[in-house]
Amino acid sequence: MSSIPDHLPPRREASAAVSFARDRALFANFFQRELFSRYLGSISGLAWALLHPLALLAVYHFVFTTIFRAGAMNGKSFLIFVAVALWPWLAAQEALQRGTVSIASHAGLIRKVAFPHELVVYASIAATLTLQLVGYLCVLLVLALFGEPVHFEGLLLALPLWIILAVAVAGLALALAALQVFVKDIEHILMPVLMILMYLTPILYPLTLVPEGMKPWVAANPFGYLVDRLRDALLDGKLALQWGDAAAVIVALALFAAGRWVFLRLSPHFEDFV
Amino acid sequence: MAAPLLKLSAVGKDYAKTDHNAARIRLVFDLLRGRGVAHAFRALDDVSFELAPGESLGIIGENGAGKSTLLKIVAGVITPTRGRVAVHGRVGALLELGSGFHPEYTGLANIDLAAALLGLAPTEIAAKREEIIAFADIGSHIHDPIKHYSSGMVVRLGFAVATALTPDVLITDEVLAVGDESFQKKCIAWMERYLQGGGTLLLCSHSMYHVQKLCRNALWLKGGRVERYGASADVTQSYLAYHEEKSAGAKQPISPHRAAAEGVYAIQSLVLDPGAHIESGGALTVSGNIFSPDGRAPVILLGVVRADGTPVYGVASDMDGVAPTRIDDREFSFRLTFPALPLLPGKYLIRAHALDPEGVRLFDNVEQTFTVEGDTRELGLVRIAHRWHDGVDSAVASDRRLGTR
Repeated sequence: MSSIPDHLPPRREASAAVSFARDRALFANFFQRELFSRYLGSISGLAWALLHPLALLAVYHFVFTTIFRAGAMNGKSFLIFVAVALWPWLAAQEALQRGTVSIASHAGLIRKVAFPHELVVYASIAATLTLQLVGYLCVLLVLALFGEPVHFEGLLLALPLWIILAVAVAGLALALAALQVFVKDIEHILMPVLMILMYLTPILYPLTLVPEGMKPWVAANPFGYLVDRLRDALLDGKLALQWGDAAAVIVALALFAAGRWVFLRLSPHFEDFV
Repeated sequence: MAAPLLKLSAVGKDYAKTDHNAARIRLVFDLLRGRGVAHAFRALDDVSFELAPGESLGIIGENGAGKSTLLKIVAGVITPTRGRVAVHGRVGALLELGSGFHPEYTGLANIDLAAALLGLAPTEIAAKREEIIAFADIGSHIHDPIKHYSSGMVVRLGFAVATALTPDVLITDEVLAVGDESFQKKCIAWMERYLQGGGTLLLCSHSMYHVQKLCRNALWLKGGRVERYGASADVTQSYLAYHEEKSAGAKQPISPHRAAAEGVYAIQSLVLDPGAHIESGGALTVSGNIFSPDGRAPVILLGVVRADGTPVYGVASDMDGVAPTRIDDREFSFRLTFPALPLLPGKYLIRAHALDPEGVRLFDNVEQTFTVEGDTRELGLVRIAHRWHDGVDSAVASDRRLGTR
């Protein structure tokens, strides 16, 4: 391919093992900085990261059970039914937003130092999802203590589901982060789009309440599938694997591959636009 | 001969010209389809050079000539559009202020990040950290976020980080100019030690003094292309000469005929001997004819001016009590020799003015440019006679005095 020049940056001199060790150390550094400075470094940051989903959960609980008088959902209380699904959604949403601006927020580095740019996207997603996963486990624990039926053995399936989610989010974030460098509007379009998607995903309602005609459309949402499986595992203790799980893995890997392809095509030109 | 540390072959870099969002979106599609950049600005074109170990190179040129782009390509920060770059060794880059520091993080956190970027293992980082803090010498500010640093402090830390890892090639942009006097000295001392120890420097500077002092070769970039590449003394001299000429602007000598027609004292010819090129310290003879409308002998004022207009020396015939020689009713000639012109290499001009016989009114202004050539690193305009007094010399002198007695 003539457009890709035969450039040998210094890091390619090193053997693959050395450069992998370097990339791992660099990722660890970015990950720590992201975690400590953005969340743990400031009290408000940490509070915001965990309070935001809690507050939303409380508001939805109030609106749906007290005002709309929603009853049990699939035989579960509204609170636990929503908590299991809402938290992963908000985690993915925040990871996408942070990942999208991660390249721009490391502009100083990208303009001056040679390193694999994708590392900052991974670090930002990993830090957000790690923190939100801890929050998720805490909320499940608290709800269980208040007598909600939580099947903790379901974590055996729930944790791999989070990993599938992380891979898919990484793919989307890579593509969005690369596009954000060239088109600054991505960041602003993302928020309302995610908001609309949230209401179109069976998070606040079960798929069974969706009218028959629209059911296939709502069911086709891959995130809806993950939510369904999380509820199976954590609320019903159903751990049996389905064919759909394999499809979820394939979709996540395909999203990741596509996102990374876009990112690697555009990343040689970041320096000029960040 | 050692294998080159660095080899650039016909390297070029295009930047996309995108002034509005639609163009950026089109650019994204072009890039995704693997096409080149459609509307491009050629920041760098056809640049080739080799850098052997221990052979330092200075990059000079005007603002926007592509110097930073070139350094960034060598550092691997940007990918060239054309050509090939081969690097064999560890490159340490100090590009612009605070090469890649994150403003929100403390000095210490940035040291760790910079070390990780250079591929150091955590144990190596711990070993180097003290050394870096000591060299930067910014006291307790090392615990403050970089954004609260002065630009000088950022440079100190940046230099300390880039040098602590003793890279095979050190790339530095215009950074020496920022630190205070004592830190600059420390940097220069470090660089000289580094060069003596076989280190290689790729220096981008507007200070010809630093380029001449630290680099054996220099490369002059002009409009993204190599204007001249060779020994640093030659390249810096021609670069300075180019600048002097440019800032002086193109001044056309006034036509002697027109001046004559208007009935004013006017210089009709101005001749330099041996010509437009003389050796530093050589002889220069200036001669010419003057037209006098009333037949009286005019006063001639001759000056030596550097090409940018800085006056060096001027003398008028009436100051020395001489008058031009009459060769016709209304025409006179003059001839002046500088037997040993002490000008340092560069571009100069001889400026001749015709004055009325009273030496009061100045009528005419004719110029001839000439180049002084020579191989010297002395600075300034003229060579001033001088003598060094070192210990050995004075001891020899006193011995001689004793011996003669």
